[in-house]
Amino acid sequence: MPMSTKSQGQFTPTAAVLAWLWPGLGHVSLGQRKRGVLVMFGVLWLFVGGVLIGGIDSVDRRDDPLWFLAQSLCGPIALAVDWTNQTWLKHVPVDPVELDRLAEQGDLTITSSLDRKGLGHVNEMGTLFSALGGLMNLVAILDVLYVPARRWGRSQPRSETR
Amino acid sequence: MTGVLADGYIPFLDPISAVHVWWYVLIVPLSFGVSVIYRALRVPSLDHFWRGVGIMTVQIVVAMVALAILLLILVETVVPRLPSE
Repeated sequence: MPMSTKSQGQFTPTAAVLAWLWPGLGHVSLGQRKRGVLVMFGVLWLFVGGVLIGGIDSVDRRDDPLWFLAQSLCGPIALAVDWTNQTWLKHVPVDPVELDRLAEQGDLTITSSLDRKGLGHVNEMGTLFSALGGLMNLVAILDVLYVPARRWGRSQPRSETR
Repeated sequence: MTGVLADGYIPFLDPISAVHVWWYVLIVPLSFGVSVIYRALRVPSLDHFWRGVGIMTVQIVVAMVALAILLLILVETVVPRLPSE
């Protein structure tokens, strides 16, 4: 629910929550449909691009907690990718002796999981893309959290400038 | 099933191995994404939006290349000439 302030701006925490739930939704909820779609396109471009480049392992709250902090700003989509990563990949035992034993037994699930481990530049770029998407979405969240009276070229925050 | 998955590349699950060779080219799509979001949030009017995005993308890439050249000169030329003590 938008709340007025002394400077005739609007404090809109609902829009900020919506912006986190799905990139661009905050702007759409404020009547800035075109801006919202563009923000959504940009954030998803970076996030989906990151997962495409680095694979699902580029979103990893266990191995890269600080990076995941930035990635989680993309919203539940990042949490879902991490959950998938943890349940698909991170179930392999870390003990090398145990790994060797399972490999000798021909456990193809283990082999498949290890194949998907991103390393080097691939993992770095994938992580960077998705983290940058989250950080840019933070800017979008802050942008809709408080809307000054004369934002977007007009006096009314809810109007859209095309 | 898992044996088949281990053999072939699956988009979004497996990392793209070719990125190891040309990872620095990814600065272009990275800059493009940042430019789209930045301009969507900052410009008062969305007229000529994509033209502005293109210009900003080029600006970021050129600035990063210039910074890389500057650092290369610093590391390869300036630093070796510094007195050791």
